[in-house]
Amino acid sequence: MHQFFPNFANAETKRETPVLLHEVTLQDYNGEVLARGFKQIVSELRAKRFDTWAWYSLAKKADEFMVSQQQTTELLAVEYLKERWKQVGVVPYNHQLQTAKRVIFDMQGQAILADEVGLGKTIEAGLILKEYLLRGLVKKVLILTPASLLWQWYHELYEKFGINAGIQRSEWDWAYSDILIASLDTAKREPHASHITNILYDLIIIDEAHKLKNSSTLSYRFVNSIQKKYCLMLTATPIQNDLKELYNLIALIKPGQLGSYRSFKDRFIMDKRTPKNPQELKVLLSQVMVRNRRDEGTIRFTGRIVHPIVVSLTPKEQNLYDRVTQFVKERSRQTGLQNILPLITLQREVCSTFLATALTLEKMMVSMEPDQLTQVADLLKDLADVKQNTKCDALERLVGGLDDKIIIFTEYKASQEYIRYRLEKAGYSTLAFDGTLSRGKKQWIRHMFQKEAQILVSTESGGEGLNFQFCNQVVNFDLPWNPMRLEQRIGRVHRLGQARDVHIFNLLTKDTIEEHIMYLLHQKINMFETIIGELDAILLHLNLGKTFESEIMEIFLAHEEQEKIRERLDHFGDRFIMGQAEVKTSTWELF
Amino acid sequence: MRTMQQLVFDFFRLCNLEPVEIRKGVWQVRADDALMKELDGWRAQGRLLQFTFDQRSAETYGADLICHGSYRLNSILQVIRKQGVLSQAHIPHHFFHEPGIRKKILGGFGAVERAYVVNCSLQYSQYLELEILAEARGLQKKESIHTVVVDLSSGKVLKFAFPYHLLKAGEVPKDTLRKRKCSFKQAFANATTHLHETMAASDHNWAYEARHKLTLEEEKLREFFQGRTESEEFKAKKQELHQRLAPAVRIDALRGAILLVPLFHYRLVVVETHGKEKSKNLTYDPIGNQYLQDSD
Repeated sequence: MHQFFPNFANAETKRETPVLLHEVTLQDYNGEVLARGFKQIVSELRAKRFDTWAWYSLAKKADEFMVSQQQTTELLAVEYLKERWKQVGVVPYNHQLQTAKRVIFDMQGQAILADEVGLGKTIEAGLILKEYLLRGLVKKVLILTPASLLWQWYHELYEKFGINAGIQRSEWDWAYSDILIASLDTAKREPHASHITNILYDLIIIDEAHKLKNSSTLSYRFVNSIQKKYCLMLTATPIQNDLKELYNLIALIKPGQLGSYRSFKDRFIMDKRTPKNPQELKVLLSQVMVRNRRDEGTIRFTGRIVHPIVVSLTPKEQNLYDRVTQFVKERSRQTGLQNILPLITLQREVCSTFLATALTLEKMMVSMEPDQLTQVADLLKDLADVKQNTKCDALERLVGGLDDKIIIFTEYKASQEYIRYRLEKAGYSTLAFDGTLSRGKKQWIRHMFQKEAQILVSTESGGEGLNFQFCNQVVNFDLPWNPMRLEQRIGRVHRLGQARDVHIFNLLTKDTIEEHIMYLLHQKINMFETIIGELDAILLHLNLGKTFESEIMEIFLAHEEQEKIRERLDHFGDRFIMGQAEVKTSTWELF
Repeated sequence: MRTMQQLVFDFFRLCNLEPVEIRKGVWQVRADDALMKELDGWRAQGRLLQFTFDQRSAETYGADLICHGSYRLNSILQVIRKQGVLSQAHIPHHFFHEPGIRKKILGGFGAVERAYVVNCSLQYSQYLELEILAEARGLQKKESIHTVVVDLSSGKVLKFAFPYHLLKAGEVPKDTLRKRKCSFKQAFANATTHLHETMAASDHNWAYEARHKLTLEEEKLREFFQGRTESEEFKAKKQELHQRLAPAVRIDALRGAILLVPLFHYRLVVVETHGKEKSKNLTYDPIGNQYLQDSD
């Protein structure tokens, strides 16, 4: 490959290392003279590489132009990224631009971005990073995220900001890569931690920063020991249980902002969750924290319209459902609640497809006593005999009435395959999307879905990290029991950039546990029609001591009567709503 | 706007490309693989590059928008800025009227002495022009560009404006170059000292603000550490604070050029009143408009 400008090779690499030639201390400021530019000129002189006077003069004009451009107090990145954003469909919201400006010009790059869920904290962080890069203020950047979000960050930075970051894979990457995305859990362990603490970073971005709320953890101590000039922390829940958590987070980015812990306790803590001087605290927090809220009119989200579709099982299917349920209850009595996970799976699968149920039963047979095997074998035989699937019939009818793109969510791979088999047989073009696909394939399938196919059948894990705002119809073939997983599903289409109302079709089988789940999630918590921010904070606040699914399963196993189950679920739902209100009050008072 | 347009067209012209106006306000050039790679990175391929300076045309025809801060302008600026790290130019000697200079020199001897020119020669004095970027880093970063010209014969920074309009590209015969008496390193040091002096005389509010903020933040930090100011952690946090807020001016050379200026060198014979003859060497520097008397 020939170079366009042959007399100027490796210019970029030569400009890399900023070595200080000498330093002078003046009265008001330090004077530093860098060696890099001069060295480059001298090396060109030695090599007798003289560029033409015309290029030299033009370069001087370009320098002046560049410098004059940088004097603006507007965000350079906005104009720079305008065309890219147009191509990838990013619409920057006013609150995001304001946040970026505030962090750069007022907070000197030290901030907690604590917007409510779905308001685009990642966009804000990307914008700030891009602006700093364009202004030449940062070079060495480290982004610490949970492992599951590494690729999402990579894509967001590349697609939306044209930033080509690296993903950390080996211990050499820390020094080698200028902009690196890494998992916090990996980074805090040796030998990585030693490498990182020896580097001076210009900017550190920490996603899901609420994981650093406890100052005695290794993660906290590790982040605290990183040498950094600017630091951004992203969390929707800066307080989960205790005001001390907030203090710890702020001490990480600006130690001393809230004084010593003793003085903070005296001045601001009434009890664990109630601040003493909220107004005063609010002022101090506003100097290091930005929190945009949904109800401030910042963004108009489109509506969510829920369509429950009740499916009555055939007597044969109902009988099998009852037998599997009975089997689950018996097993739970025998094995206790310690090994409840496979039983939860089985109970959920039986509401999805019998194929999924059969596969799980087969796996369970390995660890069963010989006397139970006969019962399971009978069940398997009967499951295999069922030729009809009423839920899938209903799905076919539903899909037949819809024109536009549809995403069908199921929790199980076996159900996913069965649904695709049925729909393909009925003449629909479908695509499968799941967590086992490589990044490239996921992108390709997303592209194919956008351009070609009408239906995407996705499992839960496939739903994370990719967005499908071009589609506004979601079918929940089976319901996840955990509201966070449900929100993740809906969040794939109902997010910033969605221009239409989102239709959510819930297929639920009558006289099964699904009816109860639907009651809890829809009627009680109103999960489908409203976006409940801070779900993780609420669940943490409830302090269940077990998973959401286990809580429901225990209620289900403990009672035979439907009324009793409903009553317990009511109570559980009330606790959730109360927790939600408490979390909201404690954070609203301060931000 | 006109400057920007001129800059872009000059760029393409220097790349030997002639933009064609395909619609009103929309231009097109055929950029080959190599140029596109310089502009858009190694993945880019050659194409018909369409550009416009008008937002509406960009939206209508999908041409690359060139305006303040736009991606395409920045990519062009980046490429231009990588060029011309070092160049040279000279002021041709014929720009100055030599007989006039000779007359002026001879006329300077007055009535009591007479002088005549034995021989006349031409030399080129070397000047180093440095374009220097100064970054004032306080609460925000403010950049400015300064051009300093250093006379490589004396090492002195030129105090008057260099007549750039007289410069012509290209070299001069090597044997006409006057020997440098100042090294490039010394010239750069003199230029930076001069720059520091110039900046010291300008407004320092940005530095006061940053210093004030730094003091406040340092107090907060001390309170947080409650007297543990000898701890390594305190020192590290304090260092971070200084890196972020301590006011500093960072100077770096962006590019340089050797400027060659003709010097008219005369060997004279001066006849004094009592008839005694004395030889004298005189050099005339036309841009400084000064006569330099050389020792015999």
